[in-house]
Amino acid sequence: MIGVTPPAYDPAAATAASTLPVGAPATVRAYVAELYRRHRGAFAALIAVNTVAVVASMVGPWLLGDLVERVAAGAGDLRPERVAALFVPALLVQAVFVRQVRLRGAMLGERMLADLREDFLVRSVGLPPGVLERAGTGDLLSRITTDIDRLANAMREAVPQLAIGVMWTLLLLGGLVVTAPPLAPAVLLALPVLIVGCRWYFRRAPSAYRSEAAGYAAVAAALAETVDAGHTVEAHRLSDRRVELSEHRIRQWTAWERYTLWLRSVLFPVVNAVHAVVLGSVLMVGGVFVLHGWIGVGQLTTAALIAQMLVDPVNLILRWYDELQVAQVSLARLVGVRDIEPDAGDASLAPAGREVLAKGVHFGYREGVDVLREVSLRVAPGTRLALVGPSGAGKSTLGRLLAGVYGPRAGRVALGGAELSRMTAEQVRSHVALVNQEHHVFVGSLRDNLLLAAVHATDTDLWAALGAVGADGWARALDDGLETEVGSGGVALTPAQAQQIALARLVLADPHTLVLDEATSLLDPRAARRLERSLARVLEGRTVVAIAHRLHTAHDADVIAVVENGRISELGSHDDLVAAGGPYAALWRSWHG
Amino acid sequence: MQIQDLPYPDPGVPDTRSGPRFLWWLGRNQLDGQLRSLAWGLLHFMAVAALPFCVGFAVQAVVDRSGGRLALAGGLLALCSAATALGDTLLHRSAVTNWITAAARVQQLLARKAAHLGAALTRRVAAGEVVAVSTGDVEKIGWFVEAASRFTAAALTVAAVGIGLLVYQPALGVVVAAGLPVVALAVLPLLPHATRRADAQREKAGRATELASDTVAGLRVLRGIGGEELFLDRYRRASQEVRRAAVRSARMWSLIAATQVLLPGLLLVAVVWYGIHLARQGRISVGELVTVYSSVMVLNYPLWHFQEIAMAYSFSRPSAQRAARVLSLERATERSGARVRASDGPGGGPGDAGSTGPGTPGTPSGDLYDPATGLLVPSGLLTAVVCGDPDASGLLAQRLGGHAPQDGPSVLLGGVRLDELPLDVARTAVLVQDKDPVLLSGSVRELLDVPASGAVRPIEALTAARCDDVLDALAQGSSDAADPLDARLTERGRSLSGGQRQRLALARSLLTDPEVLVLDEPTSAVDAHTEARIAEGLRHLRNGRTTVVFASSPLLLDHADRVVLVHEGEVVVVGAHRDLVDTEPRYRAVVTRGTDAATAPDTAGDASDRDGDPRDGRGAATLKPRAELPELVGLEEIEETA
Repeated sequence: MIGVTPPAYDPAAATAASTLPVGAPATVRAYVAELYRRHRGAFAALIAVNTVAVVASMVGPWLLGDLVERVAAGAGDLRPERVAALFVPALLVQAVFVRQVRLRGAMLGERMLADLREDFLVRSVGLPPGVLERAGTGDLLSRITTDIDRLANAMREAVPQLAIGVMWTLLLLGGLVVTAPPLAPAVLLALPVLIVGCRWYFRRAPSAYRSEAAGYAAVAAALAETVDAGHTVEAHRLSDRRVELSEHRIRQWTAWERYTLWLRSVLFPVVNAVHAVVLGSVLMVGGVFVLHGWIGVGQLTTAALIAQMLVDPVNLILRWYDELQVAQVSLARLVGVRDIEPDAGDASLAPAGREVLAKGVHFGYREGVDVLREVSLRVAPGTRLALVGPSGAGKSTLGRLLAGVYGPRAGRVALGGAELSRMTAEQVRSHVALVNQEHHVFVGSLRDNLLLAAVHATDTDLWAALGAVGADGWARALDDGLETEVGSGGVALTPAQAQQIALARLVLADPHTLVLDEATSLLDPRAARRLERSLARVLEGRTVVAIAHRLHTAHDADVIAVVENGRISELGSHDDLVAAGGPYAALWRSWHG
Repeated sequence: MQIQDLPYPDPGVPDTRSGPRFLWWLGRNQLDGQLRSLAWGLLHFMAVAALPFCVGFAVQAVVDRSGGRLALAGGLLALCSAATALGDTLLHRSAVTNWITAAARVQQLLARKAAHLGAALTRRVAAGEVVAVSTGDVEKIGWFVEAASRFTAAALTVAAVGIGLLVYQPALGVVVAAGLPVVALAVLPLLPHATRRADAQREKAGRATELASDTVAGLRVLRGIGGEELFLDRYRRASQEVRRAAVRSARMWSLIAATQVLLPGLLLVAVVWYGIHLARQGRISVGELVTVYSSVMVLNYPLWHFQEIAMAYSFSRPSAQRAARVLSLERATERSGARVRASDGPGGGPGDAGSTGPGTPGTPSGDLYDPATGLLVPSGLLTAVVCGDPDASGLLAQRLGGHAPQDGPSVLLGGVRLDELPLDVARTAVLVQDKDPVLLSGSVRELLDVPASGAVRPIEALTAARCDDVLDALAQGSSDAADPLDARLTERGRSLSGGQRQRLALARSLLTDPEVLVLDEPTSAVDAHTEARIAEGLRHLRNGRTTVVFASSPLLLDHADRVVLVHEGEVVVVGAHRDLVDTEPRYRAVVTRGTDAATAPDTAGDASDRDGDPRDGRGAATLKPRAELPELVGLEEIEETA
């Protein structure tokens, strides 16, 4: 084997541009410093107990060295009482402190890990709604699962173990120097080999392990998709292709395994050579020194035993060092969320009144491409406005502007005279709610799922809200009532029931203006019908902007705005528009037959 | 098997009778790898165990003031070190190869099983378990399989060193030989506790991860409505529970670590203590004493494998059991697949043309007939089915494809029972696109690379399903794709809206161009403008082909050759959309959705509807009330929209 080049395909390479920022080195450094400051005491304690454990571990070799010295010198008194007086207590101290090292290392690692994951979630839930709308939650999701997972090992093991390993090595080297000062330079002979080998390895290893891990995750992901898409796979006769895909992924993953195996095939002999050089030079150089009478044979024995003990901490450092490097990337992704400006907003800004007003609004997701152009609208309190138009015309975007999720590029969108995009998210949502196709049921009790909309609501309030959306029937039939665990892993709710929970939240949150992005369109139309009845109750007395995929929604509205190509092309009541004979009228006729 | 030869051309037929048998089967199938690992392991461990002898020899040489013997010790040391390094590297290579080949084999078996079970898998609870085995269990299974030969090498070495010391220094060797089994086995009783705590910790960590990803998945809801603190508190509690469980687990592991210091340490104390007595009597040389002491120190390394193998087994046995259970799953509806002509066809029933489709020998064609509901789908026409109850329509659509999970008479295509055709032939003849078709991740080109008749070009299918803006959106999202067909879809097409996903799925089904295409609510999330254009596209592309659309939107129904109303599991009436709207109140109730005030009685006050169980099947009979709207307050355009 001459060598293995890294595989051409890298599964860890980003396929799409990362939607959320990755932390800059300065941000990462600042975070690590902060983390260290928070746990400085625990670090110091860990180092202290480790020092005691390592020093105690050197008592045995020292005693044996002493014994060897005396036997070699033909001394009559071998002092067996010292073994009892020193070795046994030292051993007990070592055992107790090794236990402490392990335990404190774990406690420190777990604390740092808990800090990290909690910090990340705190940051995530503070993200501006506009960022979430645009970036989606997929990237965040992969950060909180994959990246936290990768960091778990680093925090729980690598950081404490590296601290232990470095201290351990230094103390043993110190012990060696104290035992036999002339031997110290002999150890240094091994250093060049170690440095050259490790530089070669650690330049390649971290990214290779990242790719290998991503490759293995891709194997599992392909299978998960096959399982998830069981119906589709069978209907389209894709079984063979799915098997082929899985095997293709296995080939890609194992190519990286083969590459990292090659990296270790270089590292292992290097590390073995280092250990051999250390032990060999101590024995040979020390042996010559003893022959010349520069040191005693007891010192040589102790030094040789300590040199053998160096194997463990050196391997510990090598074992965890690349883990730490891999973890750096994950850490950068986690703290990257800190680089997003939190939703500033002017806390003093509050709307006076309930009128929604858009004036000369321009908006685009990308520089130079406006999705909405010169849109102006006034929605009087209590009116129901329907936005209709073909896909991609800008209906949903307009709805999000009216709900204050995005701010316009030019022009202004105001609620009660106050600009929505300058208010805080908390202020906006007490007045306006955006209801979309996403009706997430959180893992947890039914109560928690409702309480999020009104944290201080009583059970009576919750039942009233469920009743208002027609959900109290099935909810009362649940075994544990409001305590019933729902969401993934709990009682499975039908999509319609999930939607009713979403509506009950609206009743509890009680905003006076609602933007509906065809909340029921993902449901079977016939299941949607009952929901519309629930919805009608929720809408009562509120201002409603409905993005309508279905014409009956439009028909029921007070005013219809036809959005085409980023502009409002028709505006008026259903009867007006049908009478006008424009595009809406044509569509209505074909729909209504 | 070398890593570069993976994947296996054929992963074989596993022994799935039990977890241990499955482990045994995996090990047996990589026997040469196991033997290689054993051989290199022996070289490695033996060489490591020989080092103390070199050390003792060197010290003795110095005591004897012999430069020549010191040099000889140096030579021996170099030799041992070379053997250690060689053995270490090659043991690692063979062991990792064993791990990877075992893991790859299990992954291949899982992929084949999942692909073979197809829809049958999603009907079982097992779906999650297959994924769990793939993500969590495979590694542990590979660990034990790989560790078996490594452990054997270590155990043989420990035994050999014990015997070697007895021969080398009988007096002190007895002490070591007596102590070794105690040191090797002492921690084993602690391991079950430790692994139990580790399991508890993992479970808690899994729960915390679930809560975190659940919170993030619903983050838009939280930010839109509130309750962030509620969920943060909940996560903090779960996170702290993980921490406590981890520390609890660490307590046990640290106890094990302390034991592993204490017991070999006590053996060392015994060696030194007894060594002093022997030295007093002149029965032991300095070199021998150093050798024995150093041996006990070095033996910690192979001894550690006793603990490892116990851990590997306790972790991998439940994993192997799960894997064996998953791999032994079979389709419940496995049929012989012999093609049998229906002898008891529908009495006087229509459609027994019974001809075989052109170009696809063995695939029947003709009218599709469902004896259970009496639904007849004439060959070459576009039939729309309107069904009051969404669940019932889903089941009916599934039955039209044959090999349905529920009991009942088989659907007939051209007089041939679909259930009696091999699954693949049945699926070729009839493609059922369910309510929730899954877009598989990959490029659009890969998405559309499905088995197809070849008669429909991708661009035609995409045009008919009105996917132009979907492709635009995808092309904008991916920077490097010049051709929109190379734009990538994320898993399940989550980056797209519901309507966009439906249109791509429809394009894929149209491209397949099956003899019979069954579409269940293909445009329920598509806006009315686009739906109207899709209806035209569908009509045009499937001209002369048999198509069934389950729908309730007039925009689709208006384009059907015939519309069938199914109510309470039976065909009630057949006709054209416009006629049915005029003549059939039940039909009107389903499709016009109460927009016509004259025909839709207001039932909003009907308390019996409040419980609103969407599955109770009364949908067809219940009319949607006119939404109670606030008074029209007035809205005006205040500025010209230029």
